[in-house]
Amino acid sequence: MTIKEVLKVEELTKSFRLSKKQQKLENTDDRIKKAVSKLSFSAYEGEIFGLLGPNGAGKTTTLRMLATLIRPDSGDAFIDDISVVKEPEKVREKMGFLTSELKLEEFFTPNFLYDFFSDMHRIPDDIRQKRKAELFSKFGIDKFAEVKIANLSTGMKQKTSIVMSVVHDPDIIIFDEPTNGLDVITAKVVTDYLLELRSQGKTIIVSTHIFSLVEKICDRAGIIIDGEMIMCGSIHDLTKKQTLEDLFFDLYSQRKGDNV
Amino acid sequence: MKNGAFVVFRKEMARFLGDKRLFFTTVILPGLMIFLLYSVMGSSLSGMMKDSKEKHYETYVVNMPVIAGEAIENGGFNIIGITEKEAEGIKEKLKTKDADLLMVFPEDFDSSIAKYTPGSGDVSFVEIYYNSADMASSAAFNRVTLILDRVEQNISNVFDINPDEKNVSYDVATSEDATGTIFASILPMLLLMLIYSSCMAIAPESIAGEKERGTFAAMLLTPVPRGQIALGKVLALSLMALLGGISSCIGTILSMPALMGEMVESGENMSMSLSGYGAGDYVGLVIVILSTVILFITIISVLSAYAKTVKEASTLVLPVMLIVMFAGFSSMYSTEAKAEIYWYCIPILNSVQSLIGIFARSADIVHICVTVCINIAVSALGMVLLRHMFNSEKIMFAR
Repeated sequence: MTIKEVLKVEELTKSFRLSKKQQKLENTDDRIKKAVSKLSFSAYEGEIFGLLGPNGAGKTTTLRMLATLIRPDSGDAFIDDISVVKEPEKVREKMGFLTSELKLEEFFTPNFLYDFFSDMHRIPDDIRQKRKAELFSKFGIDKFAEVKIANLSTGMKQKTSIVMSVVHDPDIIIFDEPTNGLDVITAKVVTDYLLELRSQGKTIIVSTHIFSLVEKICDRAGIIIDGEMIMCGSIHDLTKKQTLEDLFFDLYSQRKGDNV
Repeated sequence: MKNGAFVVFRKEMARFLGDKRLFFTTVILPGLMIFLLYSVMGSSLSGMMKDSKEKHYETYVVNMPVIAGEAIENGGFNIIGITEKEAEGIKEKLKTKDADLLMVFPEDFDSSIAKYTPGSGDVSFVEIYYNSADMASSAAFNRVTLILDRVEQNISNVFDINPDEKNVSYDVATSEDATGTIFASILPMLLLMLIYSSCMAIAPESIAGEKERGTFAAMLLTPVPRGQIALGKVLALSLMALLGGISSCIGTILSMPALMGEMVESGENMSMSLSGYGAGDYVGLVIVILSTVILFITIISVLSAYAKTVKEASTLVLPVMLIVMFAGFSSMYSTEAKAEIYWYCIPILNSVQSLIGIFARSADIVHICVTVCINIAVSALGMVLLRHMFNSEKIMFAR
């Protein structure tokens, strides 16, 4: 039996122009910074793929390109053979994206926003109501369904954001630092949900710099340093000889010298 | 299945109508403020005029002549006769604002007037001392000058223009015409300014604000085409701006009697009448205003999408405010709409000219159609630009 390749990333490349201020901060004379360089990997049906890397390695930029928010300079990525460059609107139907940069309008209630995003994704009423009841009860939002986002706790806001990103029951879900800034209980709710999505056959891409999270929930992972994929494989293979953390620091010092 | 533009439109309206504070500040407050401000202005203005009418000025006169005495006394002056020697002291009183006026007539004023023959060049002089730094003294000076001019005219009266005795109305303009002339010179500018302010109050918050808060990107992740998001936003914002504009207009119209009241009382015989406007004028007014609102909202939306923050957007929309003001001012110097068609092809100016035409009751259907078409066409171009901007990561995710 072959496993279906849901996401195929082919040599994604993205550069940004640096302002004078940024040049100073980065201690460089280069006007252009390559955020992601010829990055390739694949993710399969029913697996959690982890993108592991330090801050500024290009994880978020990669995920934003996959989410069709920004366009790659070159290369492409395909979700179920649909190009993120050529058919971004079709990709958005199949994909859910969650990042801390995306916020929900604080004036509205979870109930209103659920309906709004369902409308934007053209979800029929009957399916929407059933799914809303399920998701709200799973995340404990049902009690706060009519409370404005502004008045929710940080954890409840994060849970609501997760729910809004999956109103359309996407096949592939991209989470950028999903447990960042959450207390241990909320973080567990989130990781449990990721595992549940996997059991439903969804493909999940997670970016993080937390080694333990990758070891715990990911099936495969890729290590990104300076916008390049340094190593990619199953967690089992990557941690055969040493822990993921040790492997990462070895790779990092090989690339950067001993300045760890 | 609902159209994406409609979904965005509904969300924007829910935000607007659901927030009582926002609704109050954008719809109720502008009208209320204008009404209160203009009413207070109007009543204080008429209060001032009334005060000056009823006031009796302390007037010191040297050698009061018979020929002008009665007219001056009936004109609201408390006459105190003094000698030439006492005049110096009165000048000091004028300086300290303890007296309103000092008039010095020549001793033989009455007889020299009687002897005067036109063309002889032998004229008498009247000296009137006043204090321009004292409002009462200035008003007294203006009033007495008018009275003396009238007395002078009566002495050498040869013919009269439009004599009151005949009781004929020589001004053939109807009250509708008069209203049209006044409205055409004031309302286009006032309307455009009020509508632009109401657009300025909501559009930057809705577009630059959502960008700044990170809520816009959540919408961009849905499969709804960016063009539909732009259309939904522009239509919802236009409706809100229109409500704000209507509120401002109601405030203006309701405060008109208080503001214009003094003009009516002061014997200008001006009466306002809206009966001259027909259904066609009202329809024209509504479609010109609606197309102008959509145009303004599109312009402000484009500028707001370009701005990184609400603050930056508020600064960017100010130069357009100046353009709208200048275009509006052009209506104050013309009470007739331009006939040449090219005036109606220039956005903003076309709205001013069409409004002048409508208020002056000389609107041309072709002019109105051209104006509306141009406004909608420019708005459509703006919408295409907005869609392009919503697609641009440089604009939407710039830091």
